[in-house]
Amino acid sequence: MFTRKTWAVLAAALIGSTALSGVASADTATMWVRASGTNAAAHLVDLWNATHPDKIELTTIPDNQMVTKLATGVQAREVPDLVSFDLIYMPDFMKAGFLVDLTADLKADPNYASVAQAYKDIATYEGKIYGAGFTPDVSILVWNKDLFKKAGLDPEKPPRTIGEIHEDAKKVRALGGDVYGFYFSGACPGCNIFTSSPMMVAAGSKILPANGNDDALTGEGVKDVLEAFKAMWNEGLIPKNAQADNGANFTSEFMTGKIGVQGTGGFLLSELKKNAPNLDFGVTFLPGAKEGQASSFVGGDVVAIPAGSKHLDLAKKFIAWELTDEAQLEGLAKNNILPSRPALADNKYFAADPRVVTTAKALGIGYVPWVYHFADMVNSDSSPWINMFQRAIFDGDVDGAIAEARQKMKEIAGE
Amino acid sequence: MARSRSRGQAQGWLFLAPALLFVALFVIAPLGQLAATSMTDRSLLGGGRFIGFANYVKIWHDSGFWRALLFTVKYTLVLTPILMGLGFALALLVSDNTPLKRLTRTIVFLPVVIGLSSSSLLWFWLFDERVGLFNRLLVDLHVIREPMVWFVSADLAFWAVVIAITWKVVGFGMVLFVSGIQAIHSDILEAALVDGAGYWARVRLIILPLCRRVLLLTTLVSAIGSMLAFDQFYIMTSGGPRGQTFTAVYSIYQSSFVSFRLGYGAALSIVLMLIILVLSAVQIALTARGAEP
Amino acid sequence: MTAAVVATGARALPARRKRLAPSALLASAACVGVIAVMGAPLALSFLASIKTPADASAIPPHYLPQALSADNYFKVIGYEAGLATYVANSGLVALMTIVACIALAAPAGYGLARFDMRGKEVAFLLLLAPIMIPYQALLTPLYLDFAKVGLVNTRVGLAIVHTILQLPFSIYLMRNSFEAIPREIEEAAMLDGCSSLSRLIHIFLPLALPAIVTVALFAFINSWNEFLAALIFMNRESSFTVPILLVSVQIGHHGAVDWGALQASIMIAILPCLAVYLALQRYYISGLLSGGVK
Repeated sequence: MFTRKTWAVLAAALIGSTALSGVASADTATMWVRASGTNAAAHLVDLWNATHPDKIELTTIPDNQMVTKLATGVQAREVPDLVSFDLIYMPDFMKAGFLVDLTADLKADPNYASVAQAYKDIATYEGKIYGAGFTPDVSILVWNKDLFKKAGLDPEKPPRTIGEIHEDAKKVRALGGDVYGFYFSGACPGCNIFTSSPMMVAAGSKILPANGNDDALTGEGVKDVLEAFKAMWNEGLIPKNAQADNGANFTSEFMTGKIGVQGTGGFLLSELKKNAPNLDFGVTFLPGAKEGQASSFVGGDVVAIPAGSKHLDLAKKFIAWELTDEAQLEGLAKNNILPSRPALADNKYFAADPRVVTTAKALGIGYVPWVYHFADMVNSDSSPWINMFQRAIFDGDVDGAIAEARQKMKEIAGE
Repeated sequence: MARSRSRGQAQGWLFLAPALLFVALFVIAPLGQLAATSMTDRSLLGGGRFIGFANYVKIWHDSGFWRALLFTVKYTLVLTPILMGLGFALALLVSDNTPLKRLTRTIVFLPVVIGLSSSSLLWFWLFDERVGLFNRLLVDLHVIREPMVWFVSADLAFWAVVIAITWKVVGFGMVLFVSGIQAIHSDILEAALVDGAGYWARVRLIILPLCRRVLLLTTLVSAIGSMLAFDQFYIMTSGGPRGQTFTAVYSIYQSSFVSFRLGYGAALSIVLMLIILVLSAVQIALTARGAEP
Repeated sequence: MTAAVVATGARALPARRKRLAPSALLASAACVGVIAVMGAPLALSFLASIKTPADASAIPPHYLPQALSADNYFKVIGYEAGLATYVANSGLVALMTIVACIALAAPAGYGLARFDMRGKEVAFLLLLAPIMIPYQALLTPLYLDFAKVGLVNTRVGLAIVHTILQLPFSIYLMRNSFEAIPREIEEAAMLDGCSSLSRLIHIFLPLALPAIVTVALFAFINSWNEFLAALIFMNRESSFTVPILLVSVQIGHHGAVDWGALQASIMIAILPCLAVYLALQRYYISGLLSGGVK
């Protein structure tokens, strides 16, 4: 039987251990972030670490390997406590049961209510919420004001339709030499879903099928955009290296100051300010076929908790914190990164540059496709999506390209 | 006598045991798991049930994989003779031990010791049409009028990779050939000299035949390496344009990790391994027969 | 064949000196040409690495830096956990890989070269077989196994994977160089009553030093540069290796490349390999020779 002394020792041990863990409370949670998002994530994590006793330790994973790493990690119970990854993989991960259900926490969080709708959609599966917007990225249209001026265009009037992009590009290209009207990375699937698909969506198309019975590439928008790109390519308004660019020159081409118009991402703003401070450029929404149509692709990272996380409470606290005004403004906006709550677009940090405000507002009108097998349909190096661009624009067979991509996408979605 | 032989046998196996154990544990066992996975429809995201040989049947109809395999074979058939021929030519050039020739050997072998990804990135840069110096050089030499976009066509991309890989590994074969040439006893060559054999006659009649064993080894290693090519294409072409430069291993990688079809990727791996095994056996058999006096 | 022979013995084609002058000149010219062609890529990359980041992505590119700058290197050195962490991890993993390769390949090579066992050829082929396996496919089953025994995210675990990749070549090389050692030396030692183990340690290993150095060198180079397994098996920034840093540091959004950082990364990745190669060149080449010819 236990003596009184035994109980006392046990109690002391218990108190001791809790006291100890209380003192040494500096718990550390680990977090994986894909390389594209690591700069933005680091600002948030640094701010958290500076203001909290519990720390977050960041590990950068190269973009292409994030899915493999998380998938094998979850199955081997070797996971970080938090993970920030390309939001497009949310449906696959939620369905596979890789993530912790955060519905109760986020539903009760007033800040979550004002997160961009696209983030809420992509992180919801069968009525449950599995993640929150973290470090947003959104596509926009940029134009070079100097070149517009030289070409006799109004530098303050960006193209409002796909047709106007074509006309403006023609005028800019007329400057001759190595100045070109338009640029897109012709062999980069990710770049084009990011910057070209929103024009199609703005013009009324739907891009990806949610399942095998769903339609792909509906409406006229897809054709409108491909025809315009094809015409610009045939007229020599696009530099010829665009055909082989698998993304390596996605940002650098516009930075040279020799491109009139290009679709790109919000991240380009800070890079341009840093690397090409004298480049005078404007930012607007990606247009559709008619004036007034506009859209964007909401990209960037979501934050979620992998099943098997060993610091669940800390991880949840971090997610709640990153949605607060403090984190959104002092962690993100202050560093020229968009907040995931569009209402915070008008803040003191962005006020100086209306271009950033425009970008932040693009989040509010953006779309993100909720589909499985996104990598297969779009991101892989031989996906139907990129094959459609190549065949339509460089081979000139727009209708054949669309028909082929439609069928292949439906096959993949049906798997 | 018999006892000492059996003791020798036991001792020999004892020396082999650690390596055999290691291979059994870390190669054969996971290989068994791979074979088991190939009989399931397992996804990278988990799950998977037994489906027998369905994956293998699917491979039979998978034109994408066979196209990739054919491309890999073409790559191997083009690259291997280039490596052998150039390696042998370089070896002839630098086989004596003058300082200049030793320096040449050192420089030619240098790329062998850097990583495959580093060298692929290096050439990816050199071939870039905007910032790449290889293009700039060709323009300055008036070989081409303006920078070429190498990765826009499957043929150009293919040759870009062949150039890069030749640079990277030609030194390996060269060193082995130099060793073969230097191992030939000088009295044989001198006898030939006395017989009045000219330089090229000596190369053809003495050096080449005596280097046969080196040739077999180098060819085999280089051919197997080419059949398993992945990094150079992953980094330089990303399989493009339009998937025309996917290699066999690249398509395994795509199936397993991009399309998440782990079971199918496992089956592809097993098939590729069997193909390489058969090809190697054929090559060894052919060369061995040819080598007999 | 020993190192000394290769290093000093001029055992080339006997030349007819009088008539050779023009062709010798031609050969020298050819050597210079070969050096230029083979050396240019690395030289250009080095020159690009010390450009300013803007100059490194200039269009059209310059052969020589317009101004010297270490910014590209600073970016790589200061990345995330700091270069020292990655170098330390890579170095330790490479060291363990070297030790494992020698410890496994030397006895195995000895056994294969010097003992007459039934089934030896089969064992040899089995040990060589891993070079025919697309190792990318083995990583997933290996990872799940390693996770069960706690080898994931450990340097030992990664060193094991790197040893798998390097073992066939190591065994092949060791076997061949042991075979090249004359029987007489061993028989003398047998008469002196040396056990087979002590013969391996005291006679064979010293004689096969060039081959051992070659095994070590290739193990180092391949482990130092291996990317995919390192990424999959390691889980924390603090345990990542150099190749992972190199891939992460130069890639921006949607695959956009930071050309300056790319050059600096390449230089940092190859520097240790070049240093080791040049320092140990004498052994290295002759080790390959002894392993290759026989």
